[in-house]
Amino acid sequence: MQAEKLQIKLFATTHTVSLEAFVPVFHEWIRVNKLPELMIDVAPYDHVPHGPGILFVGHGSDYFIDEGKGRLGLLYSRKREAPAPGERLRDSLRRAVYVASQLEAEPSLAGHLKFATNELLLRVNDRLRLPSSPAAFEANKAELQAFFGDVLGTAVELSLVSEPRELFTVSVKLPPGAPSPSLAELLTRLGGPPTA
Amino acid sequence: MSSPSQTWKDQLSTQMPEALAREIDVFETQITLRKQGKIEEKLFAETRLRRGVYGQRYDNGQRHDGEKSQELNFPCGALTKGPITVWDAPGMMRIKIPYGKLSARQLEVLAELAEEYSDQILHVTTRQDIQLHFVHIEDTPDLMRRLAAVGITTREACGNSVRNVTACPYAGVCNTQSFDVTPYANALTYFLLGHDDCQDFGRKFKIAFSGCEGESCGLANFHDLGAVATTRTENGTTLRGFRLFVGGGLGSVPQNAQLFDAFLPESELLPTAQAICRVFARLGEKQNRAKARLKFLVKKLGLEEFKRLVLEERDKLRPDERWTAFLSDLHVTDEAPLRPGSPVPSGADASFSAWQRTNVRPQAQEGYGAVTITLPLGDFTSDQARALADLMRKYTGDSLRCTADQNLVMRWVPNGDLPALRADLQAIGLGTGGAGTITDICSCPGTDTCKLGISSSRSLSSELSRQLKEMGDELPEAARGLHIKASGCFNSCGQHHVADLGFLGVSRNVGGRRVPHFQLVVGGQWENNGGSYGMAIGAIPSKRVPDAVKRIVGKFVNERQGEETFHTYINRVGKKEIRAIVDELQVIPPFEVDPSFYSDWGDPRVYTIGDMGVGECAGEIVPFVEMGLAGAEREVFEAQELLEKNDVAGAAKRAYGAMLQAARALTKDRNQNLGDDPAEIVAEFKTHFFDTKLFFDQFAGPKFANFLFKTHDEGGKAESKEAAHQLVDEAQLFVDAAHQCYARLGSSLSTPVQA
Ligand code: HEM
Ligand code: SF4
Repeated sequence: MQAEKLQIKLFATTHTVSLEAFVPVFHEWIRVNKLPELMIDVAPYDHVPHGPGILFVGHGSDYFIDEGKGRLGLLYSRKREAPAPGERLRDSLRRAVYVASQLEAEPSLAGHLKFATNELLLRVNDRLRLPSSPAAFEANKAELQAFFGDVLGTAVELSLVSEPRELFTVSVKLPPGAPSPSLAELLTRLGGPPTA
Repeated sequence: MSSPSQTWKDQLSTQMPEALAREIDVFETQITLRKQGKIEEKLFAETRLRRGVYGQRYDNGQRHDGEKSQELNFPCGALTKGPITVWDAPGMMRIKIPYGKLSARQLEVLAELAEEYSDQILHVTTRQDIQLHFVHIEDTPDLMRRLAAVGITTREACGNSVRNVTACPYAGVCNTQSFDVTPYANALTYFLLGHDDCQDFGRKFKIAFSGCEGESCGLANFHDLGAVATTRTENGTTLRGFRLFVGGGLGSVPQNAQLFDAFLPESELLPTAQAICRVFARLGEKQNRAKARLKFLVKKLGLEEFKRLVLEERDKLRPDERWTAFLSDLHVTDEAPLRPGSPVPSGADASFSAWQRTNVRPQAQEGYGAVTITLPLGDFTSDQARALADLMRKYTGDSLRCTADQNLVMRWVPNGDLPALRADLQAIGLGTGGAGTITDICSCPGTDTCKLGISSSRSLSSELSRQLKEMGDELPEAARGLHIKASGCFNSCGQHHVADLGFLGVSRNVGGRRVPHFQLVVGGQWENNGGSYGMAIGAIPSKRVPDAVKRIVGKFVNERQGEETFHTYINRVGKKEIRAIVDELQVIPPFEVDPSFYSDWGDPRVYTIGDMGVGECAGEIVPFVEMGLAGAEREVFEAQELLEKNDVAGAAKRAYGAMLQAARALTKDRNQNLGDDPAEIVAEFKTHFFDTKLFFDQFAGPKFANFLFKTHDEGGKAESKEAAHQLVDEAQLFVDAAHQCYARLGSSLSTPVQA
């Protein structure tokens, strides 16, 4: 992708924890340097309905326990220092999947939270490079289809789901019944946990 | 699809006002120069603050994790954007929204910026601004360009400058106003924006307008300059004017404003404000920041002497047609409703009626209501902002106002549309009622993002609001109208002095550990333009504050006599009785027994004050001369860049501009009325610096000054690349000489010339 600021949203399928429960988790992750990237702070926005939920702020990336459009999920957001164009999709998905798997395994959340791998969103946080339009979707579809087909399964179906004022957002879905990889398998396919 | 090489600068080139576009380019150049180490950090800090680019917590590169302080290893290394402020650390962007007015298109752009450069949240401040947090400095020029394309500037949103001019959000539609103050607030905003006479302040300067005396909305009482609309009848004609107040302010030493003029005619508003700015720039404290606001100067001089100096200055001002030009069209800021007014439909349900009671104000114009959209902690999302823009277009035309109590007001809603609008607001999570009641709490950023925060005012407010809402019908009627406001420290950005129950963050030592507390301030008045300040009672552990609120409110409800206000009640029962409640709550269990008291609301880390940093509220004092010389320096740099691109005419123009700017920076000090005209600058420079030989170089004598005269005579043109090259070199020499001259004259230049 030419755009640098890619976002991936992984949806939660089960969640019996409040947003508040993520706050101590992220504070602790900063304390123990859990992620291989610079993380700075935690900002709670759980008072805002259908909002960014709990923000885990970093230098290169942010992670949100996001409730946008009323659907809870983990939103990964690349802000700066993106890798080379050919690596961007893989890198973003890999970071999102890694953090999702770590959250699933987090003792205080264990059993309360699961993420789906048969559906996700790709968003591009850069209206200049990639406005939300059918033309932009067509221009990028082949690259996206090839990438997500490769990591999720060739049956993936892509559709543009954003209106023109919103960020370019593509829904990536496996058809009902199609086998979907576990988070761990997906992470392996993407090259394992991020290293930097 | 747009090509990847395209930039916002190219994309918006035809949409930005030229002057704004240029200012932003200049700021971008300053960023480049700072990265190359060519601008000193203090100067850069003040430059960025004056563009609204503010510091944020942890930008000193340190963060306490509850056990120890950890280094935040930003990739920028040693590069800073101000003293003890790491370049890469995220910061806050304050966006000036004059009198809080936003159009649907502006709202949409703000939504985009919140997504692309911040965290999807738009935050309404206590002075009607919008703030974005966690913004990287290198994103700010594009952010500003996108704002400029919809007519918004961030200029002078922070720093030692005239901050956002605020006004009551009901101006123009209010039942109690003398007249609509909007066009006056608008005229004064743009008259003072970037004005030379406002560049040499020792501290910020805040202006507020109010349409009437009795309501709270304009808060004219606690501003440096407060203008309250009033009229007078003379020979059968109604004349408009203002009760003008000066020297009010909150902060750690709150001060009520004093009446400067009981009737300042409308035509005198702008020149009087200008004269006040000059006196403040000249005589205001510059060394001791804690004493630098106008309130201290007025106190020191006494109102009468201050007034005398201002009137004397007023007479010396060079006449300016802008003083009165705006009066010929006071309708520029009028709003046209989308639809005719209509009556409220009958048969509304109880939930609608409750919302209507707190969130709808009948307008002065028959058939319309002004709707308050209650925002939790002043926050709303990009998605909500876009949806609101749609609702504006659907119901009201095009105006929304941010309020000082951190909500939004939609005006011109036909009453018949209220139920439908309510339903639409509910669908986007903005249909909450309770505006202006005890659950609608205001808060400064506190420890969430502010470097000076001591306690978490936001999380406290959120928790209080939650608990009070949970009480539902149990919350007594008499308690509902109370106002709660919280500040994270004594600087009072949450305006806690003018609340019934105000809180300010403090910390206390308990058994060798730090415990977050809030000092309770009771009985302040939001009414009467923030009419009086509350009394400090005592400090309560943060975790006990909700308990304290419930007890005090319960006591008030039980003991209230008739329709007594909380303010009157407090004055009647006195501090002591309230203090008894606080005292009881002060003792907390040891850490080992209950560690929950030892961390703050919303933040599970063991509490510490180790994260507090040095605030940028006062900015850096950089005299006008130094700002000007730095500007000249930057123009030489730009001239060099243009030369490299073979733009001969552009390079020559910039080189000439650099010399003029340097000359003006020096000369302005000798002649405060100096304008922008090159001929005037050159003539005045000659009088004050050439004829007096003050500018002469020790070895080269008049040589450098002559570069300016020659270039001016030639109109700043160059015939060839060589000639332009020479001109750029001469400009550099001239600017260097100006620096030398300033260094030689030093204090005599920066010391104000006494009247
Ligand atoms: C010594 C430093 C500071 C002082 C003395 C100070 C004082 C004040 C006061 C008195 C007000 C509001 C009431 C009024 O209008 O008069 C205010 C507004 C505000 N302050 Fe501060 N402040 C300081 C630093 C900060 C910092 C570091 C932050 C956080 C980054 C901050 C955030 C705010 C906000 C969000 C507002 C509402 C304002 C607006 O839009 O202009 N302040 N400040
Ligand atoms: S009151 Fe204190 S904590 Fe709150 S914003 Fe102002 S300076 Fe920061």
